[in-house]
Amino acid sequence: MTIKSDNLSGAVRHRARWRPNGAQIITGMATGFLVLLAFLAVFADWVSPYDPLRQNLMEALQGPSAAHWLGTDDLGRDVLSRLIHGCRIAAIAAAEATTIAVLLGVPIGLFIGYRGGMWDWVVMRIVEAVVSIPGIMVAIVIIAILGAGLHRAMIALGILFSTSFLRLARGVVLAEREEVYVRSARVVGASDNRILIRHIFPNIAPPLIVQVTLTVGAVLLAEAGLSFIGLGVQPPQASWGTMLNTAAAFMDFNWFLSVPPGVAIILTVLSVNLLGDVLRDSIGRGIAVAVTPDKPAQRFAPEPVAAEPVSLARRADEILRVENLQVMVPARSGGEVPVITDLSLSIARGETLGLVGESGSGKTLTGLAILGLLATGVRTTHGSIMLNGRDLRELTRHQMEQVRGNEAAMVFQDPTTSLNPAFTVGSQISEVLRMKQSLTRKQAWNRTVELIDRVGIPRPEERARAYPHELSGGMAQRVAIARALSCNPSLLIADEPTTALDVTVQQEILDLFRDLQAEFGMAILFVTHDLAVAADICDRIAVMYAGEMVEMADVDPLFAEPRHPYTSGLLSAMPHASDRMPPLPTIRGNVPRPGDWPVGCRFSDRCDYKIAACDARIPLVGTERQVRCIRACEFGMEAAS
Amino acid sequence: MTDNPLLEITDLQVTYSGRSLFGFGGKQFHAVKGATLSIRAGETLGLVGESGSGKSSIANAVLGLVKASSGSIRFGDVELASLKTRYPPAIRSQIQAVFQDPYSSLNPSMTVEAIVTEPLRVHTSMDRAERRARAVELLKLVSLSEEHLDRHPHQFSGGQRQRIAIASALALQPKLIVLDEPVSALDVSTQNQIINLLYERRAEFGIAYLMIAHDLALVHHISDRIAVMYLGHVVEEGPSDRVYHAPAHPYTRALLDAVPLLDPQAQRQRRTARKSAPASDAPRLSVSGCPYQNRCPHVMSRCRSEMPPAYAIDGGGTASCFLHATETCDTVRTAKDKESVVS
Repeated sequence: MTIKSDNLSGAVRHRARWRPNGAQIITGMATGFLVLLAFLAVFADWVSPYDPLRQNLMEALQGPSAAHWLGTDDLGRDVLSRLIHGCRIAAIAAAEATTIAVLLGVPIGLFIGYRGGMWDWVVMRIVEAVVSIPGIMVAIVIIAILGAGLHRAMIALGILFSTSFLRLARGVVLAEREEVYVRSARVVGASDNRILIRHIFPNIAPPLIVQVTLTVGAVLLAEAGLSFIGLGVQPPQASWGTMLNTAAAFMDFNWFLSVPPGVAIILTVLSVNLLGDVLRDSIGRGIAVAVTPDKPAQRFAPEPVAAEPVSLARRADEILRVENLQVMVPARSGGEVPVITDLSLSIARGETLGLVGESGSGKTLTGLAILGLLATGVRTTHGSIMLNGRDLRELTRHQMEQVRGNEAAMVFQDPTTSLNPAFTVGSQISEVLRMKQSLTRKQAWNRTVELIDRVGIPRPEERARAYPHELSGGMAQRVAIARALSCNPSLLIADEPTTALDVTVQQEILDLFRDLQAEFGMAILFVTHDLAVAADICDRIAVMYAGEMVEMADVDPLFAEPRHPYTSGLLSAMPHASDRMPPLPTIRGNVPRPGDWPVGCRFSDRCDYKIAACDARIPLVGTERQVRCIRACEFGMEAAS
Repeated sequence: MTDNPLLEITDLQVTYSGRSLFGFGGKQFHAVKGATLSIRAGETLGLVGESGSGKSSIANAVLGLVKASSGSIRFGDVELASLKTRYPPAIRSQIQAVFQDPYSSLNPSMTVEAIVTEPLRVHTSMDRAERRARAVELLKLVSLSEEHLDRHPHQFSGGQRQRIAIASALALQPKLIVLDEPVSALDVSTQNQIINLLYERRAEFGIAYLMIAHDLALVHHISDRIAVMYLGHVVEEGPSDRVYHAPAHPYTRALLDAVPLLDPQAQRQRRTARKSAPASDAPRLSVSGCPYQNRCPHVMSRCRSEMPPAYAIDGGGTASCFLHATETCDTVRTAKDKESVVS
């Protein structure tokens, strides 16, 4: 009985900046129409030109005229007046049924969702029974018990529609109940009622509003339907449903009779649904987590194309060379915001480059950009990504698919989600082998077992037949590594591959990466937030901050004498760096969000060494060892080589 | 040592009953298998362990979010484990918590003011203006200001959100705050800000912390004592410096050694010293004896049959390991040399 969310909502949701675009004009029209309806419903007696019940058989079934703008019906009553009075019925019907549905469904849904157990079981079985019967049949049965008439019909509809509110409330509670903030509320000592009403209920508001508008629309239709078959509003009272009924009976004499109530119903239902979506979006804005930046480059002016000449030394055995990479994400309020700017790096065969930085530094996006795996809307705007001499940015989608898996592969942070839970781990590896290397089923399986054995998993034959959830996190990550290496890629991108693992397991996985690299000779781009992990696994380290590289050096010199204040700040903030009681060394402030970056040195707001010159753009200097800080030389360190 | 502990956990067991497909029956999972811990007023106990060690279950049992299946949790004079219903308000207001994920621990639909003052609404009769004034004080304690009161959580960074959670936990001036991985979701540069903040407030208000974390080094900075858990057992406990610098249990040692060093050269040396063993396939849960026997390089036949008791360690604290049984001091050394790993 529920109406599927209308596709107009899509148009409304993607509003750009505040200028009346098409969607907003439609929204305004919908609102205007509903206001007009409300006005007509309240002032129907004054507004309507005639008494809606006054009959005049001499003028029956006339078309539109100056006296009767929308014509007359079979008894000569003015259609316009009846339509206006129908507004009142429609408003009463929608309000009554929806109120009953909300008042009945939401509290029960909240209660059974929160309590669970037997109450939940019993109520849900009843609801399922009601929902499994066509809605209009249920309504007719309830009306059969209560008797015909508008209010009784609306009580029937209210009871019927309460099931969807009940299920909605229950579903939200079931999800929210597990949230940490509910646990916090319990620790504070809030009672169950308080948790339900004050903490959980407000989070139901956005879906509830949508459901209310959908229900209002559905009630209008159902009321018209019930009145049409004579179970709702009783003649001679005017309602859109009874008017349609009359129109159907006299179709042959005056076809126009069906148009006014029909158009009224369509426009009302449409307007209500549209408004619901707009309301939901505006309320949801206060709740939704800001995924993308709120404002487009406010302090930050996107720089011109390839601002910096690439000073990165060329090496003979380079596998990957990225130059001047720039990645933009769409901003909430329209436009685009850069998240990575002017990034250049290279990795040689058998080398591991660590890409280190905190959240928001752009390190993960760099990995995804290289493999062309950016989310919709996020795009690479400048630069080149040369893998084995080919620019990946020039490749077609199909060519890129060939590169992924064959030439370049990726290992993700959480092995339990990067493996498909529906297939055995062995089948997920052999699928790659069969697709990319055209092996037969048998060959692929044998190779899979070899690979699983190679990544140090005992009893490989048996484990190949296991599902991901049957493996521990460490084992699952080994499988993910085996899958990534199945086609012997020359570049492996590892995105925080040990972050989700316990430290004792992390150490095993790092050893595995090292062993495999010694054997296969691939280049590894190792993305991590943990400098200690980078110290363990990497040959060279690139430190990223706010979308740009601030320092790059071989691992030993970087840790021995960091040159960028951010690098040294990070190093001294590591838990193992000091052995003392608080206060521990910190970097003040927070990592700025994309779009909030300072125009000059992006670290300047948090830096203790800031001088006036830091407000201008700071270039990355050096070739082997690079640093983006104009005072790097002053800190007792020799000039960048 | 003379004063009574604020929180005393004795032989605590927490068991979850698994749910089968239809919601009935299912296997039981023993998360905590007899843990004994105590915290004195104003003291910080760091509770360290890897995932599945049962550390969070202890936190939840102390907070009354899960029921202890046996054992005792005494808070002052009150036995919490036997409280059948919710904690009485007088107890509730004394024990507060800060959880790991600052993104889901704050209600997205509430303002900062509502979040911070919620404990006051529940436990005090302050009026709106008084609560707001108190909220401003609380925000100042966590280095936020009045202008933040009317904002929603999504407008803050992870570190700022954790400050808000701490302000709310401080609202009732509790005697104990349970910190469940309070900084592990934060960036390195903000982690220490929060640690410093917690440390300062502790000194100021004399609050005791039960700080749960997976990182021994991090806990070491702020804890007076550290307890290390492995598969539901407390395997070592003692003064923070002693546990960190002279770990007595092989598992604590392994935990410390597994964290990479910030010095690449030292890390390389340590790496070559460590023989890269294949992934341990032995079942982690053992039927009898020491919980660590399947991964322990010093395992003795005795470890397979007997559960090691808590032996006193020089420098304070205890370790549940037969290596420290006084009568087998010589055996310890030979066992260590042999490194007999029985698979």
